[in-house]
Amino acid sequence: MSAATAGSALERIERAHGAARGHMHGGAAWDRRRGDALARLMAQGLPDRRDENWKYLDWAEIGRREFALSAPGEPGVALPAGALAELAQGSIVVLVDGRYVEQMSTVMGGAGVSVEDLSSALERDPAALAEALRVPGDGADDRFALLAEAFVEGGAVIRVADEAAPEAPLYVLHFSTGRDASHARVLVEAGRNSRLQLVEHFLTGEGTTGLSNLACEVRLAEGAAVDHLRLYQQGVESVHVETLLATQARDSRYRQQLFALGGRILRSNVHVRLEGPAAECDVHGLFMVDGSRQADLYTVIEHVAAHTRSNELVRGVATDRGRGSFNGRIIVGEGASKADSRQSSRNLILSPLAEINTRPQLEILTDDVKCSHGATTGSLDANQMFYLLSRGIDRETARGLLTFAFCEDVVALVALPGLRRHVEELVVGRLPDRDVIREFV
Amino acid sequence: MPAKGEIILSVENLHVKAGSHKILNGLSLEVRAGEMHAIMGPNGSGKSTLAGVLAGRPDYEIVSGKVNYLGRDLLAMPAEERAREGVFLAFQYPVEIPGVNNVYLLKAALNALRKHRGLAEVDAFEFLGLVREKMKLMQMDESFLSRGVNEGFSGGEKKRNEVLQMTILEPTLALLDETDSGLDIDALKVVAAGVNTLRHDERAIVMVTHYQRLLDYIVPDRVHVLASGRIIKSGDKDLALELERRGYDWVRQEASAA
Repeated sequence: MSAATAGSALERIERAHGAARGHMHGGAAWDRRRGDALARLMAQGLPDRRDENWKYLDWAEIGRREFALSAPGEPGVALPAGALAELAQGSIVVLVDGRYVEQMSTVMGGAGVSVEDLSSALERDPAALAEALRVPGDGADDRFALLAEAFVEGGAVIRVADEAAPEAPLYVLHFSTGRDASHARVLVEAGRNSRLQLVEHFLTGEGTTGLSNLACEVRLAEGAAVDHLRLYQQGVESVHVETLLATQARDSRYRQQLFALGGRILRSNVHVRLEGPAAECDVHGLFMVDGSRQADLYTVIEHVAAHTRSNELVRGVATDRGRGSFNGRIIVGEGASKADSRQSSRNLILSPLAEINTRPQLEILTDDVKCSHGATTGSLDANQMFYLLSRGIDRETARGLLTFAFCEDVVALVALPGLRRHVEELVVGRLPDRDVIREFV
Repeated sequence: MPAKGEIILSVENLHVKAGSHKILNGLSLEVRAGEMHAIMGPNGSGKSTLAGVLAGRPDYEIVSGKVNYLGRDLLAMPAEERAREGVFLAFQYPVEIPGVNNVYLLKAALNALRKHRGLAEVDAFEFLGLVREKMKLMQMDESFLSRGVNEGFSGGEKKRNEVLQMTILEPTLALLDETDSGLDIDALKVVAAGVNTLRHDERAIVMVTHYQRLLDYIVPDRVHVLASGRIIKSGDKDLALELERRGYDWVRQEASAA
C-alpha cells in the first residue's frame, strides 16, 4: 500500500471512530480504551508490504477496501445460505457484521455454557470486561487487533463453567454483508476441566467487499479442553483479517483446525501460548487458493512452561493464480524444558502461476527439548500419479484424487464425523477436478 | 480377447535410456496367449526397466525399437490407455496413497476398464462380493476395505494387494515386477496361488524375478535370461533350475562366445 493510501485509510478510520464513539457501550473507561488503541494505531500505521510478516499480502487489493466501521443495519432473522443447518439446531451464536444478533442466537440451557452479547456485557459490567479482554500489544502483528480494539463493541463473550462438558458443539456463525468494515471481538473462557467444541464459520452475503476484522481470545483454565474448528467460506470479494490469541493454563488442551476455503484474501494471525506445565496444543490448517485468492497464515506457538507439547500441521494447495503463505514461528522459552514441538508444512502447487511461500521459524532458548519441523512445496507425486494411471484411471481423476488425498491429511483429523464429511465435500468442491472425483469421497 | 497361441506382445530390438544410462540394448521378446514367461537376470540387468517401459512409466527414453501389443503400437499409448487395453503391472514397490481408499481405487479401475470396453459400470453390491472373494483367496484382512491404498501395509501385504488388483482387473497381459521379493514362504505361496488363478488360454503373464524359488510355485512355459539390457538365452523351466544351480556367469560366457 502506498503511503498516501495508508494515510487515507487511517484518516477514514479516525473519522469513523469519531462518528461511532458516542454510540458505543462501556462508559468513559471503554471510550478511553478505544481512544488509546486508536492513538496507538495512528502512531504505528497499518501494516504494509514493507513489514516482514505481512509482505506476502496483496496490499493493492486490501487498499481498495473500507476499514472503517459500518453503521448498524437491521439484521435479518433467517440463517444465511451455506450455514451448517445441523449445528444451527443446537447452541448457536450469530454475529452479523460483527454484531451479536439476539434473535438468531440460542444457547442450550443447563450445559454450563453462557453467551453474552459483548455490547451488553460492556454496559453491564465494564470493569470486569476491562480485565477479561486483553489489550492488544504494540507488536507489529497486533495492529489489526488494535483496530478491532478501537472499535470494540460487537461480538460475544462465551464462558464455559468449571467442570462443564456440553455435549453439543457451540456454533458461532460470522456473517458479513455489504461494503463497510466490521470489527468483531470474541472471548472464549473455558473453565477448569471444562470441555468445549467450538465451530466458527465465516460466510458472506452477495457482493460483500468490506474488511471483516476479528479479534478472538481463547483462554483455557487448568485442565480445560477446547476443540476449535474454523471454517472460512467467504465470497470471492471478501477480505478477512483476524488476530487470535489462545492462552493455556496447566494441563489444558487446545486444538484448532482451520480450513481456509473461501474469500478473496484471508490473513490469520494465530498465537498460542502454552503457559502452564503440560499444556498441549494442536494447530491444523488447510488452505486452498484458486482464481486470484490468497490465504496467509501466520502462527506463533510459544512454549512458556515445561513439559508443554505442540503439534502443527499445515497443508496448502494453490492453483490458477492463487497465492498462499504459511509462516510458522515456534518459540521455546527458557522455562520450557522437556517441551515437545512438531511442525509440518506441505504445499502443493498445481499450476505455473500459483505461488506458495512457507517459512518455519524456530527460536529455542533452552536445552532439553524435542523439536522437529519439515516444510515441502512441490507438485503431485509422480509415483503416485503413475500408479493410478497404470490402473486405468484417467489423468484428471488421478490428479483430483491425489489432491484430495493431500488435503485429507488435515480433513481426516476433524473429530466430529458429520462435520468432517461436510468439510470433505467443501474440499472436493474446491478441487480443479471436482466433477470427476465426487463419487470417490 | 486373443486366442490361445496368438501373439500378445512382441518386442523388437528395444533400446531404452534412463537419463544418460543405456539400460535396454536391443531387447527382443515374443509372448503368446496362454503363456507364462519368466525373465530372470542379475541385479541391474534391466528387468524392472522392461516392466516399467511396457506399462508406460514416464522415466524412460525410448531410443529405438518397437513394441507391438495385440497389433497396436504399445509405446504410442499413454499409460492409462495401456491399462484399459488389458496391460497390468504389479509394482515392485507398490505406492502408498493415504486418503484414497483401496476399494474405491479398485472400483474406479474396474469401471475405467469396463467403460473402455463399452460395458456398464459394475454394481456396487456385486463388486464388494467380488472383492471379498478375492481377498479370501489372497488371505487379506478385512481392515483392507477401509484403508488407504497400501497405507501402512507391510511389504508382503502390498504385494498381495497388487495380485488382488490383478485378479479383479483380469488383464490380458500381466507384468509382475519382482512380486516375489521380500516375501516369506507362506506369503509367497499365497501370491503364487493368486497368480496361478489367472493362468488362462487368452492371457499371458510375464514375471520378472531375481530368484528361482517363485518358479517352484508358478511354473513358467518360457524362461529368459536378461543381461546387459538384452535377452541372452531362452529356454523352458529347466533353464531356471540350471541358473539356480550354476549362476549367471556361464550364460554370459556362452553368449559372448557366440
